[in-house]
Amino acid sequence: MIHSTQTDGGITVVRPGVERLTAINSKAFKDEVVALIDAGSSELIIDFTSTTFLDSSGLGALAGVLKKIGHRGELAVCGLGSEVMQMFKICRMDKVFSIYPDEAAAIRALSEKS
Amino acid sequence: MREQIEVIVAEDNIVQRAYMCRLIESIGFTSLKLIEAEDGQAALELLKTTRAEILITDYEMPFLNGVELTRATRSLDLDHYVHIILVTGTETDGYDVRADALNAGADDFLAKQHDQSALKARLKTAMRLIRHGKELEEQHRVLKEANDRINEDLAAAAHAQRDLLPDINTNILGADIASAFVPSSVVSGDMFGCFPLNDSQIGFYAVDVSGHGIRASLLSVAIGYLITPEFFTKSVLDDDGTPRPARLVRELNQRFCTDAHDDYFTMFCGVMDTQRVKLFYCQAGYPSPYYVDARGHVTPIGDGGFPVGMFSGVDYEDGNIDVDLDGMLLCCSDGAFEAENDEGVPFGEQRIEAIVKEIYHEPADKIPGKIIQALADWRGLEPLEDDLTVVAVKRNKL
Repeated sequence: MIHSTQTDGGITVVRPGVERLTAINSKAFKDEVVALIDAGSSELIIDFTSTTFLDSSGLGALAGVLKKIGHRGELAVCGLGSEVMQMFKICRMDKVFSIYPDEAAAIRALSEKS
Repeated sequence: MREQIEVIVAEDNIVQRAYMCRLIESIGFTSLKLIEAEDGQAALELLKTTRAEILITDYEMPFLNGVELTRATRSLDLDHYVHIILVTGTETDGYDVRADALNAGADDFLAKQHDQSALKARLKTAMRLIRHGKELEEQHRVLKEANDRINEDLAAAAHAQRDLLPDINTNILGADIASAFVPSSVVSGDMFGCFPLNDSQIGFYAVDVSGHGIRASLLSVAIGYLITPEFFTKSVLDDDGTPRPARLVRELNQRFCTDAHDDYFTMFCGVMDTQRVKLFYCQAGYPSPYYVDARGHVTPIGDGGFPVGMFSGVDYEDGNIDVDLDGMLLCCSDGAFEAENDEGVPFGEQRIEAIVKEIYHEPADKIPGKIIQALADWRGLEPLEDDLTVVAVKRNKL
């Protein structure tokens, strides 16, 4: 389901490929992103531009990915719509995820860090 | 021993009928039981009163011809299928009886010449289909039985879960507490509780386990059993009685954090303190409840907090607001905000706030039902995707 590309600097950009990340597809989403991490991706950006809704299971999957990367890499999210952002705020996810307005800003920030 | 299959042979000519029966008998299928019908009408009556599953019918018959009998058979409300073989060869030239018969619902044809091997092949086909149908029927019965058992179990689980919740309308220390609890499936990942802690403090919590259905309900019920009034009091109240609800949330976070799975829950818990005239609370990812003062001014409470069981070591904050004893506290789980109409538009905070302003002056027991109704109107035919809990707390007017 996910669509991933790699930048020249080795950053993996993931688009979930679904409009709604929910109980129905969040496990597949997590499994696929974890497979990327297992295959060696350590700097990831998840772009939610085309994903307008995230339910509690979707958020759980995203937190699972963050825990999987842990201190061994970087995970950033970008393109959060107002509803997703609201959910991030109420759950304080803005304190644990690096959030950027769009892919370009996220790539720039991650490139500077490494 | 194989069950007998009843075969009706419909033929008005007695000699032809007897001949057809002898021919079938001579094939030697012992599981077939022959029943003779002297015309189409008689055959139709026999189909109603026997368990016949094969009908071999002549085309040319008085009252009902073979095609008419076929059509009439298909419109009978039988609980089994009748395999119909039409014997052709006597109809008038130019009339395509086969197309007509297929349209009427015939399964197979046999030429009038009475070729034994052709008859045998057709009967074998019919018996194979009937047996296959019976196997499917048996599988269906077994599945239905299993499904019924699962549904009964689920209903019992839902009942047990409902028993853990406070009464829909309850009164604690002069406050009316009314609730609505609507699972999206039979059981729910939502849980809430409220109880007096002493003669001036009411403790309450609302929990929403991530996901929904059976898996979420297992955790929600475990939480429901864990947070007893004693557990709540011991975790939350300071030595001097000051409520510190964040301590309860920290304790739960420690207990439920594990890397083994992504399950977590959001929570809002608090203490309504009638002496300090304050609401003490801790928000852990649960949507902000609303406090509505006596003039109808609506304030969302809290500015967020980490969900419970997601990250270990994160901290939770205590908050408090002054309350007006005539005010109302309203908690809605995210199922209320996220309920979508048929165009995929979520109900959202603004609509909830607007309703709250409209109905805050009503007695507590009217509030949850009105919100549930507004959400049902909004959704129209769309099913509820997430569990829904609405709790209203309001001092009862004397």
